[in-house]
Amino acid sequence: MSQINLNFKFLKTSNFTMTKSSTIQFLHNNRLVEIDFSKETEHTPTTTVLQYLRKSHEHKGTKEGCAEGDCGACTVNIAEISNNELKYSAVNSCLLFLPTLHAKQLITIENLGTSNDLHDIQKAMLQTDASQCGYCTPGFAMSMLPLFKQKSIPKKEEIQLALAGNLCRCTGYRPILEAAMQIAGKNSPDKFTENEQLVIQELNKIHEQTNLIEIQNNSTVYFIPQNLNEALRLRNEKPNAILISGSSDIALKVTKKYEHLNEIIDLSHLNELNFIEKTKKTVLIGSGTTLENIKDQLSDIFPALGEMLTVFGSRQIRNVATLGGNIGSASPIGDSLPILMAYNAIVHLQSAEGKRQIAIREFITDYRKTQIATNELIVTIEIPVTEKKKIIKYYKISKRKDLDISTVSAAFELELDKASNVLVFNAFYGGMAHKTSHASNVEQFLVGKKWNEEHINLAKALVKEDFKPISDARSGAEARLLMAENLLFKFYLETIN
Amino acid sequence: MEKIFHESAAYHITGEAIYLDDIPQANVLIGHLVGSKVAKGKIISTNIEQALKVKGIHAILSHKDILGINNLGPIVHDEEALAVSEVRFVGQAIFLIAAETKQQAIDAERLIEIVIEEQKPVFTLFEAMSADTKVQPTRTMKTGEAETFLPLAEHKFSGNIEIGGQEHWYLETQASLCIPGEGNEMKIISSTQNPTEVQMIVAENLGVSIHEVEVETRRLGGGFGGKETNAHHVATWAAILAKHCKQPVKIKLTRDEDQKITGKRHPYFIEYQVGFTQQGIIQAIEMDIHSNAGSARDLSMSILERSMLHAENAYFVENMTIRATAWKTNLPSNTAFRGFGAPQSMAAMENIIDEIARFLSVDAAEIRYKNFYGIEKRNKTPYGQLVINNRLFSIWDELIQTSDYYKRRKEIQQFNAVNTYLKKGLAITPVKFGISFTTSFLNQAGALVNIYTDGTILVNHGGVEMGQGLFTKMQQIAALELGVSLDKIKVNATNTSKVPNTSPTAASSGSDLNGAAVKEAILKLKERIQAVVANYFSEKNQGKQKSEIKDIIFRNNLVFDWRNPEREISFAEAASIARIKQVSLSATGFYKTPDINYNRETETGNAFHYFAFGMAVSEVSIDILTGECVIERSDILHDVGESINPNIDIGQIEGAFVQGLGWVTSEEMKYSAKGELLNYSPDTYKIPGIRNIPKDFRVSLLQNAPNFNAIRRSKAVGEPPFMLALSVWFAIKDALLATSAEKKQINLKIPATNEAILLTLNALNK
Repeated sequence: MSQINLNFKFLKTSNFTMTKSSTIQFLHNNRLVEIDFSKETEHTPTTTVLQYLRKSHEHKGTKEGCAEGDCGACTVNIAEISNNELKYSAVNSCLLFLPTLHAKQLITIENLGTSNDLHDIQKAMLQTDASQCGYCTPGFAMSMLPLFKQKSIPKKEEIQLALAGNLCRCTGYRPILEAAMQIAGKNSPDKFTENEQLVIQELNKIHEQTNLIEIQNNSTVYFIPQNLNEALRLRNEKPNAILISGSSDIALKVTKKYEHLNEIIDLSHLNELNFIEKTKKTVLIGSGTTLENIKDQLSDIFPALGEMLTVFGSRQIRNVATLGGNIGSASPIGDSLPILMAYNAIVHLQSAEGKRQIAIREFITDYRKTQIATNELIVTIEIPVTEKKKIIKYYKISKRKDLDISTVSAAFELELDKASNVLVFNAFYGGMAHKTSHASNVEQFLVGKKWNEEHINLAKALVKEDFKPISDARSGAEARLLMAENLLFKFYLETIN
Repeated sequence: MEKIFHESAAYHITGEAIYLDDIPQANVLIGHLVGSKVAKGKIISTNIEQALKVKGIHAILSHKDILGINNLGPIVHDEEALAVSEVRFVGQAIFLIAAETKQQAIDAERLIEIVIEEQKPVFTLFEAMSADTKVQPTRTMKTGEAETFLPLAEHKFSGNIEIGGQEHWYLETQASLCIPGEGNEMKIISSTQNPTEVQMIVAENLGVSIHEVEVETRRLGGGFGGKETNAHHVATWAAILAKHCKQPVKIKLTRDEDQKITGKRHPYFIEYQVGFTQQGIIQAIEMDIHSNAGSARDLSMSILERSMLHAENAYFVENMTIRATAWKTNLPSNTAFRGFGAPQSMAAMENIIDEIARFLSVDAAEIRYKNFYGIEKRNKTPYGQLVINNRLFSIWDELIQTSDYYKRRKEIQQFNAVNTYLKKGLAITPVKFGISFTTSFLNQAGALVNIYTDGTILVNHGGVEMGQGLFTKMQQIAALELGVSLDKIKVNATNTSKVPNTSPTAASSGSDLNGAAVKEAILKLKERIQAVVANYFSEKNQGKQKSEIKDIIFRNNLVFDWRNPEREISFAEAASIARIKQVSLSATGFYKTPDINYNRETETGNAFHYFAFGMAVSEVSIDILTGECVIERSDILHDVGESINPNIDIGQIEGAFVQGLGWVTSEEMKYSAKGELLNYSPDTYKIPGIRNIPKDFRVSLLQNAPNFNAIRRSKAVGEPPFMLALSVWFAIKDALLATSAEKKQINLKIPATNEAILLTLNALNK
């Protein structure tokens, strides 16, 4: 591993060529870091960014609280070029594999400010007594950096959402929130503003020099294809390789289960999969689009999708997690699945041989199983724009509103005729069975009937015919059934108001 | 007064603060423990042969490798550092591994064979009761004649409450770094609230004298009681490995390990019978308190004792019998957690009040007020101590006003009358919390203060900084006494070599005890400097009036004779002169709390030095269909005496309250049939997040309320506000009962998770 201080005055003379495909380059603040995994003994391609930071003596400000993205103590910022500007995103460094830093700027707490030279964020945190034991504090400060950089002043709720991925056990949050309110949208020039153009230049330079990255290290092979064709070819050649983009789920295999991952294909560099395209009838979402981007851009068109994404994981998770990843994992809860089913989304698959489309309602086949073939990638998710006559809503019940997996989630699709008779009714539940599925008996009963309380109450009684939920860490089976019934009723109430 | 920030704040917010895991240490091995997968059983055979072959493994040790006494029990020797022949809970340590990386240790663990013959375990209190697994005989505290007056009471009923455990969820998991020295020396950096206990238990396990073991603690990433005894487990394991490997060893539990194997707040089941008048005055209570101790005694009996001592909370009960039993089960041994047994019994007492109010169809606030301890009469606790300096009424009067309690009560009634699926609830609950360790001898502290010739001061004391601001308060106390600015004072890492034989930083006592010890050391130093300086001034002014020792005062970094104010030198000069005059600039201080005595035989006595008081009003809204709870507003008025540092104290109150609301709402532990904790990571164990705190959160300190019993007329603040969160739970109950016109009582559990809320509503409206 080599680290070169980019004294920015001399930046023009620095010139790196990407000769080896096993090498990644990124900026750690103003320092160019080059890691050649073929020579590296300290780090492997599945070393997380947090592990990498904690191994160096200079970067111990980033803390490990849980190693699963559930506490935010390890929050760092990743800056990437977006519309010729740097976009700062807070991410959990415990869930990022080191190679995902390639061609990005990493900003850690050490870069924000020092005790002798505090950043505005830190000044605000000092003034409000936002730290007690101090262990979660660097993470909060890093979650505040994107808030600080925001160009308009966000509402209190948005500030809270930006910090919902960070846990504090000492303060009770009030002073932290106060600090965030002071700095959110302040966007005064800081040390990052000063270097922004130079960072952009340097990142562009790395981008231009990048070809397929293929990291071979001990037992792990890690590919970062730079275009879709390359990715499809790799997928064909390596049918057992694990696909990742944000790695927010797969990283847990390493950080929690201490598994060895043999082959990984990292799809995060594929621009072809990172897009949102809106037409009058349909919206196409690249499978590599992050959930945060989708939330920002599509909450107007698909409010129920927006609602789901607001309570999906945390901002740090949504900044890296992709829609394709969430669908592909086919979790029985899989927060996006019920709502995508209600919207009747279509999954576009592609392989080296061709393309096909499958309705998401059919795509999920079993516990963590889908119809995807071993040579295919999910490339696009198509959501038809909801017809005016349809009502689609999403509900999630979890022990905690934010950063919690649903105990039960439900999405409903309803169309009534003018006499309030049910023409179309679909109910999809997560957390009720081994996969996200229809409440078939409920649906069958209601279709053709009058949409009234009497029928809803009769339908509620059928939920237990549709599902035999389990008891687990989140809830008992009895409560799950109650929740599923109540959500149906809640939906009914909201449709008549 | 100028605001004084936490002494480490600038380091916290920049990541410069150094925690145990941040300390650079060369040649350090990673310690890892291999635990039982079975809750109860006999170890039949083990085999580590294959595991030893894994690359990077330096040692795999069993109980046979322990050179001293194999023990982790803080009070009695009933826990093994490494299991010998039987296991008593899932995760109990059987082997220790020293490896170069955690991955190697895990790889080795996967090759270790352990055969255990399973036996029938007990997990719940009810199972423990039928298997009769009492930790010690039931303790009984008695005042008056409850058994006589209960049958005679105008109204009476019985009830119960079930209260779950709670995981501490300090952000920094348990950790220890052990560095062997020459001979028997062992230096330990420990994330502990109790350095002395770590020192003693490690010495015992290593078979070395206590003076060979040095324990140092600069700061914890949170403690909350979880690192009072459990820290010595990790330290002992690391020390055993370090001693064997002759190399530094660090153990930092992963989050999952920490949640799985360390102790939690005790689950309780409390039954009661109460008799009361038509006016709602309590005449008699019988209460049976049962706690789930887990697999060993740990601090369970002390915790149970505090439950008994808080079972009446803020209320005078003329006839009260409290029976308390801790039961052993096959769960990890439960341990100290902020409140230390008081939250559970207070919850039961408040539930009694709430049920009386509903029985009589009056606002619970009314019943609370009527039963409060009196100022001069009706002020004797069930253990005989008088409640003096009762602040209940002054807090009540102010908070009822500022929170608009009665106006909002009406508004909520109106809201509930027109809303079917969203219900609101409101509750005010008081806290009266006794300050002192109930194990009387622990109420002591030591300090060592050094003054250097540049006028800087190094303060050592026995307390541990875990975020609560103890070091800041010590700094303030020292600076005020010596008349120097805060920057002259540095508070040193807590170290058993500097200040020995300390008590844990627990029971909210840190500032009271250590502050008094620091002050005592400083008074000694001041006397010495006064003598030196008086002499110096007199010599300089020969022929003039002599400077008297008692006239030498310390202010603004100066030392001067107030009768002759032109005679003035800087504090640094004074220190230099003292050194030249061969006067010691180092002094120890010691403090023990006076006049406390508690007799466990009779369950009577002055258990506490004083009481801290507080109250909270909380309003919630509950979605009846999803069980979702939103805390609309909480108002807190709390008594900290004359605050040494108001922003730190408010931070303690807010933090304790939010931790408490986690306990009463979302923090839940479920176990598999085999006794494995299911909620062993933050994935499924949910502490409050930033959107779970009251939407409108108003915290104030009671003004003009000096406490003449403690340092700088302040009061302890760490634990008491935790229990203010009961206001949230009673507000939830209030909202749920608003759904039923007929039924007045419900059996709601703590925590009132959305699951518990929905099941309760289902039962209520059937």
